[in-house]
Amino acid sequence: MNASSEPLTSALRIADPGDDAALAARLAARDPAALREVIACHGAALHRACYRMTGDGHEAEDIVQEACLRLWDQAPKIAARHPIGSQAAATLRLGGWLQRVVTNLAIDCLRRTRRLSDGEVPDSADDTPLADTLIEAGERDGTARALIMALPERQRAAIVLTYYEELPNAEAAEAMDMNIKAFESLLHRARAALRQAWTAQGDAP
Amino acid sequence: MSVSEQDQGAPVIPGSPLARVLDDYAVPGLSAGFADRVLAAAEVRPAPLPELRQQRRWRGWRLGRGIALGIASFGALATAAAATGLLQQFDIPVPSAEKVWASITGKPPARAAAPAPVIAAAPDTASEPASLAQVEIVGPVDTPEELSEAFRRIDEVRAGRYATRRENITQRIDNAIAQRRAAGLPVPTPEEEAAFRQRVEEAQARRQQLADERLAARRAEMERKVANGEALTRKGIVQPLRDDARAPERLRQLRRMSPEQRREALRQLPPEERRVLMEEYRARRQGPAVPTPAVPADSPPAEQEGAGTGTRDPR
Repeated sequence: MNASSEPLTSALRIADPGDDAALAARLAARDPAALREVIACHGAALHRACYRMTGDGHEAEDIVQEACLRLWDQAPKIAARHPIGSQAAATLRLGGWLQRVVTNLAIDCLRRTRRLSDGEVPDSADDTPLADTLIEAGERDGTARALIMALPERQRAAIVLTYYEELPNAEAAEAMDMNIKAFESLLHRARAALRQAWTAQGDAP
Repeated sequence: MSVSEQDQGAPVIPGSPLARVLDDYAVPGLSAGFADRVLAAAEVRPAPLPELRQQRRWRGWRLGRGIALGIASFGALATAAAATGLLQQFDIPVPSAEKVWASITGKPPARAAAPAPVIAAAPDTASEPASLAQVEIVGPVDTPEELSEAFRRIDEVRAGRYATRRENITQRIDNAIAQRRAAGLPVPTPEEEAAFRQRVEEAQARRQQLADERLAARRAEMERKVANGEALTRKGIVQPLRDDARAPERLRQLRRMSPEQRREALRQLPPEERRVLMEEYRARRQGPAVPTPAVPADSPPAEQEGAGTGTRDPR
C-alpha cells in the first residue's frame, strides 16, 4: 500500500465542529480559496475511493471534480441551512457530503460504462511491460483490482468505503443513501462475494 | 485459512492473506494542477438552474382542492335532489328546515303538535285543518264516517267563505256610501240603508238556500254511492262543484260583451255548457233582484245579481 492509499478517516475528521459551516459560508460567498481548501482537505481521499471503485484514474479525477463543482453550486443552500453559530452548523460535514456525491457519481459511472461496453474490466496496468522489479507488485495490484472490479457496483462501494476508507458502517451507509440494516446486509454479501472470488482465483492458502 | 469453514461475510481481518492482497491495490495521486483545473471550471460553470416554481406543498393542495370540489358538487346535487323531491320518490326521508333547526336548538318545532301524517294521508278530502279532524280519512272515501267527516270539513270552509263574503259586502256598501258623501251626492237615510242591507241579506240567504239545496242533492247522491260500496276520491267530490263554479265566471265574461257578441258567444257554446249557463241564469233570476247600478237592459238578470253582490256562487 503506497502513501496515497492511507485511510480517509483522518482527512474527513480533521475539521472541528462548525468549521465546515464557516467553509460553506465562504464557498457561498464565492471565495476561490475556500474551494481550494476543500480540495486540499478532501480531494485526495475522494480520488482514492473513486479510483478504487472505477479503476480509472482519469475517470476518478473527473468524478471528484464534478463533486467539487456541485459543492460550489450548492454552497449557498448548504450555508443557508447551516448558519454559523447555530446547532445545525455543528452537524455539517462537508467530507461526508462530498463522499456521498462521489459514491453516487461513481456508481452511476460504472452503470453507464456497463451499459455502453461489453463489461470487460479495465486492466490497463497489465498492458504495458514493466521492469522485473515491478512485475511482482504489478501482479499483486492486478489481483486486488480484479477482485474489487469483479464485485457489483454497490458491493464494490461498500468494500471501498469500509475496508479501504475505514468508514464506520453508519457513515458508509449515509454515503450510499441507505439505512444501516440494508447497508450491513449489502456489506455482508460483498465480503462473501469477495472471498468467493479470491478462492476462485486459487490464491487462498 | 479455509474460507469455506469461516463466515464468508465476516470482516476482513488486517494482516490476513486476503487483506494483504487487497492492500496491494495501489492508488495514484491526484494529478498536478487538479485544484487549478477545478477552480477554472468553477469560474466558467453556469449558474445552477433556479428552483422549480411548483413546490411540493402544492401537490397536497391539489388533492385538497379536488376533495373540496367533490364535496361541494355532492352537496349541490344532494340539495337539488332534496329540493325537487327526488329523494322522496325513493323513500329517502328529508327532514324539513324546522326539524333541522329544532334539532340544532333543542326546541320543539312550532308545527310539531300538528298531526302532519294525518294531513299527508288524507289527500282526497277538502283542505280543512287536520287538527279538527275527528275521523281519520285514509285513502279514498269509502265509509259513511269518512264521508261525514269530509262534509264536515267542507261545511267549515263554506262557513268561513260566507262570513268573508258578508264582510266584503258590508265593506263595499260602506265604501259606496262614503264615496257618495265625499262627492256631495245624496246618501240614503239610516232607514233606507237598513232596508237596503236587509234586502241584500235576504238575497244572500236565498242564494245560499239554493246552493244548499243543490249541495244536499249532490251529497245525497254521494252518500248513496258510498252506501253501495263505491269509493269517492277528491276529484269525484270537488270536481263537479268546480264545474258549476265556472258558470258565474262565464256569466261575468258574457256581461262584458256587447249584446251582439253575447248572443254569438252563447250560440257557439257547446250544448252542455250552454245548458249549465242557462240553469245558472234561471236560478239567479228566481232570486230577488238586488239593486245595482247601471246594467244594460238586455243583459241577463243573473249578471245584475252578480254585479250587485260581487260574490261567487258557493260551491
